[in-house]
Amino acid sequence: MAAILNSLLAALPHKSYQRMLSGLAPVTLTFGDILYHPGDTIRDVFFPIESLVSLLTPVDGHLALEVGMVGREGMVGVPLALGIGVSSVRALVQGAGPALKMSADRFRTELHAIPALQTEVNLYVHTLMAQISQTAACNRFHVVEARLARWLLMTRDRVRSGTFRMTHEFLSHMLGVRRVGVTEAATALQRRRLIEYSRGSIKILDHAGLEAACCDCYTVVRDMHDGVVYSKIPAPSFVEARLSSAA
Amino acid sequence: MFDMRNVFPTTAPPSPKQNLLLATLSDETYRRLLPSLEGVPLPLGMVLYESGGTQGHVYFPTDSIVSLLYVLADGASAEIAVTGFEGLVGIALFMGGETTPSRAVVQSAGHGYRLRASVCRAQFDANPELQHLLLRFTQALITQMTQTAVCNRHHSIDQQLCRWLLLSLDRLKGDHLTMTQELIANMLGVRREGVTEAASRLQADGLIDYRRGHIHVTDRNRLEARVCECYGVVKREYDRLLPSPRTAQTAAIG
Repeated sequence: MAAILNSLLAALPHKSYQRMLSGLAPVTLTFGDILYHPGDTIRDVFFPIESLVSLLTPVDGHLALEVGMVGREGMVGVPLALGIGVSSVRALVQGAGPALKMSADRFRTELHAIPALQTEVNLYVHTLMAQISQTAACNRFHVVEARLARWLLMTRDRVRSGTFRMTHEFLSHMLGVRRVGVTEAATALQRRRLIEYSRGSIKILDHAGLEAACCDCYTVVRDMHDGVVYSKIPAPSFVEARLSSAA
Repeated sequence: MFDMRNVFPTTAPPSPKQNLLLATLSDETYRRLLPSLEGVPLPLGMVLYESGGTQGHVYFPTDSIVSLLYVLADGASAEIAVTGFEGLVGIALFMGGETTPSRAVVQSAGHGYRLRASVCRAQFDANPELQHLLLRFTQALITQMTQTAVCNRHHSIDQQLCRWLLLSLDRLKGDHLTMTQELIANMLGVRREGVTEAASRLQADGLIDYRRGHIHVTDRNRLEARVCECYGVVKREYDRLLPSPRTAQTAAIG
């Protein structure tokens, strides 16, 4: 029985976790889907398992910037846990895969019923804010190539695969640079045999080399999330079934 | 919402209720906190927390502004948010983080009240009213941080300086700021010359008057016309998420 799970849920006491399970539905998040737009009422929260959701702040109508990335270490829809029913960011599925979904009403009920849930979500919000700050400062000071390397590794860690779909346009939003800047950085990494990039798909060839090409921000953020305890609680059977059928 | 003159017209020494969050609490909660609130002067440049350090207190600014700076491993730092009378500094303490990820530095001198870590944690856990208020503030702060991130990436230094000036003015009485260009450069994460050039352009256009560390905003309307959308987004979000000054004023009087 594989211990695949969302680590925020896994950190809950066993009883609370069991209680949560009855309100969680398995879903497969589809690449490119938008879970919320800024200003949208949050109808559901999502706990990614092997999917990845990017939090983007749009600006000036056509530009956006990725401010955070949510994988199996967290949840999408944290404003609800802070008492706000509306999203302030765009939540975009960046890595397709399984997640668990809970309705906003049920989530609010569980927050009241399970004090440990509020505690765990607060702790997660703390690390997410650290990630947002780190990303902001990294975007400010580090070169595109190092940021692209960091972004690829962060994505790999969350989707647990070294190959993923990615368009130039997405990457330009993720990194807050123009598409030509993305092309240059991707070409440079490809020339160094660290990645292979073709037709909207990226394959990591040399993980250690890519890690060496990143700024320090990668390990800083990774260590932040590793501070959140990963539990060995097995995934619910319906999730395992879904994962094995997807494999 | 953030014009202090509308909210607190007196010039009396700051009371805890000059902080919007404290002013919003019910009498019962406020009275419970009051004996533990310690008034402190917050001089320009004072470091409230170092990044990676532990926090002994949370701070509720009254007439001061505190800047939260994120410090990278290589020492470079960028401002990710400012907090004045509308909020508190040190949310990591009740969100459960062992250490704070950012450095908190007093950006505009004044006063504040502080609460010991143990008291803050205990009250946060025991008092749903306080908990709800502080969590709402946390969401507002997240919005400011994400908007600052996007602004830093996509907007000109002129626009960023305008945003920074307006966010600061909203947290102060009057239209004067005491600030060196070096400090502003650190906040905005740009070189000093960049700030000098941007400030000169605003001065040449008659929006501000800048001399020897003092900035006087002479035409706020035009500053608002020149700023990017980021200022308005943050302001609207704070208005929406935080109690209105009217509530606070009523609370302060009552």
